[in-house]
This record gives sequence, structure tokens and C-alpha cells, in this order.
Amino acid sequence: MTVIELNGLTKSYRAHQALAGVTLSVGRGEIFGILGPNGAGKTTVVECASGLRRPDGGTLRVLGLDPRERRRELLQRVGVQLQEAALPDALKVGEALRMYASLYDRPADWRALMAEWGLDGKRRTRFGALSGGWKQRLFIALALVGDPEVVFLDELTTGLDPSARRTTWGLIRDMRDRGVTVVLVTHFMDEAEALCDRIAVIDRGRVAHEGTPGELVARSGAGGTLEDAYFALIERNAS
Amino acid sequence: MKGLGTVISVELRLAVRDPMSAFFALAFPAVILWMKMRNGGTLPGGLPLIEAYVPMLSVFVIGLATLVVLPATLAQYRERRVLKRLSATPASPAMVFGAQWVAHLLLAVLGSVVLAVLGLVAYGMSGPVDPAAVVLAWLLGALCLGSIGLLVGALAPGGRAATVVGLAVFFPMVFVSGAMSARETLPAQMRAIGEWTPMAPVVQAVRAGWEGQGLPPVAVAVMVAIFLVAGGAAVKAYRW
Ligand SMILES: Nc1ncnc2c1ncn2[C@@H]1O[C@H](COP(=O)(O)OP(=O)(O)OP(=O)(O)O)[C@@H](O)[C@H]1O
Ligand SMILES: [Mg+2]
Repeated sequence: MTVIELNGLTKSYRAHQALAGVTLSVGRGEIFGILGPNGAGKTTVVECASGLRRPDGGTLRVLGLDPRERRRELLQRVGVQLQEAALPDALKVGEALRMYASLYDRPADWRALMAEWGLDGKRRTRFGALSGGWKQRLFIALALVGDPEVVFLDELTTGLDPSARRTTWGLIRDMRDRGVTVVLVTHFMDEAEALCDRIAVIDRGRVAHEGTPGELVARSGAGGTLEDAYFALIERNAS
Repeated sequence: MKGLGTVISVELRLAVRDPMSAFFALAFPAVILWMKMRNGGTLPGGLPLIEAYVPMLSVFVIGLATLVVLPATLAQYRERRVLKRLSATPASPAMVFGAQWVAHLLLAVLGSVVLAVLGLVAYGMSGPVDPAAVVLAWLLGALCLGSIGLLVGALAPGGRAATVVGLAVFFPMVFVSGAMSARETLPAQMRAIGEWTPMAPVVQAVRAGWEGQGLPPVAVAVMVAIFLVAGGAAVKAYRW
């Protein structure tokens, strides 16, 4: 069953066209990866699909709803980890989770999430005093606090130490196994290869390639790892 | 409006936790009261000073909390993308406004309680004559000035700009509207200018209630009108 369907999505920021017709679909319970160079339009896709930005053209459906019309209803069922966001410096970790949980009709158990993401020991730490990686973990936990059916994670593990990355991968797989659909933007090829069921490579506002990691490797003709395939595919797209 | 109570309690805690806003809303007005009361005495007309200064300074506190602290907080939240994160939840702009307004109103309540306790304990305050009228006038004043604060917070590009605008609105106004020096003692010209500020009807109504003279209908109507116009404009101007 399809839970995310984007069709010919376009979006311009003044003169600059960020999305030039993005079409992709994601099925329920999939881990869907979005790869692509800086400025390719990955964040714009995520923000349009989660209702934070209005695309200029194209159609989109998430959980059967149009984010342009039913944004608030959708945000009850969708979790988002934004690439750029912050909390008030003086807000403590426990307070942030409790407060965000209170905004949803049927939230997850925020104390359990806090424990699951290793934030128990930081419960009384102020956001401003957290290191980058701990902020990142808090943002992932906040994306899940509404007990979402679909989660968008923009630069999932940027700033996490290697062991936190591995733990995060495990927790993302657990989520998928519970039927949650995960869309993750990443710059780490090993992460995409290890986690994603399917991948879209976005380049200059378009989906340049789409498929399972294995399919992308095969299509590139480069053999080897997803990283080799990615470079070969991006290069081919440039010419 | 799910979670409104939780957001309000968290925002109030953040306001009290911030040394600047805690000092300005809680300690600063008390210091002014102490300075004003050093020489004691009565106003022309015979009203004991404390019966004028506590209601006046409680309006001063409303102004500080809703015209200076509130817009700075809101604009800083926008600048630092705190609102952006919040926009990815079911929270609505109305809920953000409501939570900010109530949290800063409660901050002003705390500041006013400090003033009242100081008045009772240290200066033998006997008022208010009509507590219900005072509470009503005070709340209307908080709605009126709070809606202006929300408008500044909605329009200002960042926290610094909002602080500058907030202070520029607040300071001239407290001097000429009679929130800091009693209207009876202001030069006629200054008082005439002060009548045109949104703080004047608030001072007038709170003091009238305090002295048991009933609420002046014109002042009440002006406060309601400002609330509707500025509040409506703030909702229109809101950006995450
Ligand atoms: N608010 C904005 N105003 C103007 N231009 C923007 C804005 N946001 C993004 N852009 C531009 O749109 C293009 C796509 O940006 P986007 O953030 O979607 O890229 P991205 O693929 O997420 O990049 P990165 O890997 O660096 O995060 C970029 O050229 C960027 O400069
Ligand atoms: Mg991005």
C-alpha cells in the first residue's frame, strides 16, 4: 500500500527552481532513502511532503491526505526531524519531550522514548548545554513523540558518534518492523545501504535514479558498494 | 488547543528561569516602588501614595511582561527556528499566541503579587476598594497591551529588533501614561499626550477600580477596541 505519493512536484524560491518535477512513491513499512548532493532539493521535498512548505505545482498525497489542505490532521500522524531547528536554550530535555507529547491527540509514551534514545541521564539538562549529537538524539525522539505512522528524518545521523549511529539504525529497523514508514535523508552511503529498502537519488530538483540499493549498484555498472554506484550515477547525470 | 496548559506552564518556567526577564518583571518594579515610597506622603487630593503606586506599577509590570519580554521571546523563537520545529506538530498559531500571552500574563501576575505584598507588609496599604473591578481592569489591560506585544512579536525580524521596538514602545508610554508617575502630578501637556497611549486607559481603569469609583466605560471600550484591532492584525501577520 502506498502511503506517500508525489507527482511532478515543483517549487521555486524566487528565481531559483529547487524542485523541477519530483515524482516518487513510498509504500507502508518501507525505509525510503533520499540521497543527493548539497542543494539538490532533498530538504524541500521533505518539507513539502510533511506540509511545512507549499509546493508550487504537482500533486501529493501522504496517508491519503493532501498536506496543502489537511496539514493539521496530517501532522497528528506524521513525525518530522528537521535539518535546521532548535529549542529554547533553557528548556530541559524532559520538559521538551513532555511538552511535545502534549500537543498530540494520541502521543507515544515520552518517558519510554526518553529511555529508548538514551536520554534518561540528560533529563534535566538544558537544550543549550547539550552537545550536537545529543541535540540530534533529542530531535529524533521528538519526531517520534506523536507515535507517527510516517516519519521524515532529514539528515538522520549527522553529528552522531559511531555507536549512537549503530543504535539508531537498530531503532529505525524496529520502527519499520512495527509498520512505521520511514523517509530518511542521508549523506552516508553505508547508512543508506544498511538501512534502506529503496532509494531515490535527487539531483538538481529531479529524481535522477530510483531503486533498491542492489538495483542502483547494478544499474551503475560500477559494481562494488553503493558509494561507488552513487558517484557513477551522479556523474552520468551531470553529462 | 491540545497541550495548551502544558505549553503555558513550560513557557512560564522559561520566563522565570531567564535572569533578565525575571529581574525586570519581578524585582525591578519592586525597586521602583521602594524608591517612590522613600519620602512617603499623599497625592494632591489626599490619596496615600501607596494606594496609587501599587495599581500604577502593576500596569507597569503588565507593560514590561507583554510589550518587552513577550515580543522578544516570540521573535527570538522565530529567528532561532524554535517556531519552525513547533510548526511540524499539530500546534496552531492561535495556540502559540495563546500560550505566550497567558505565560507572560502569569509573569505579570507574579510581579504584581510582589508589589501588593510589599505594599501590605511594608507600607500599610489598605486598598483595593473594589477587587473585582481591579482584576477585570487588569485583565482587560493585559489583553490590550498583550495584543500589541503579540503584533510586535509577529512582525519583528528577530529577537534584538523586537527588544528595541518593545522598549521604544514601552518606555515613553510608562512616563506619559501615568504608570510610573501619578497622572495628578504630570505636567498638563505630558498628560495630554499620554491620553493617546494605549496604556492610559489601563492605568485609569485599574486605579478607578482600586479607589472604588467603578470602571470608566470609555477606558474599557478603548482597551477592548485595541485588543480587537491589534490582536486581529497579529493573527494576520503571524509567521512560523
Ligand atoms: N528558504 C529558502 N530560500 C531560498 N532558497 C532556498 C531556501 N531553501 C532552500 N533554498 C535553495 O533551494 C535549493 C534546494 O535546497 P534544499 O535545502 O532542499 O537542498 P538539500 O538537498 O536539502 O541540500 P543539503 O544537502 O545541503 O541539505 C538550494 O539551492 C537552496 O539554496
Ligand atoms: Mg537538506
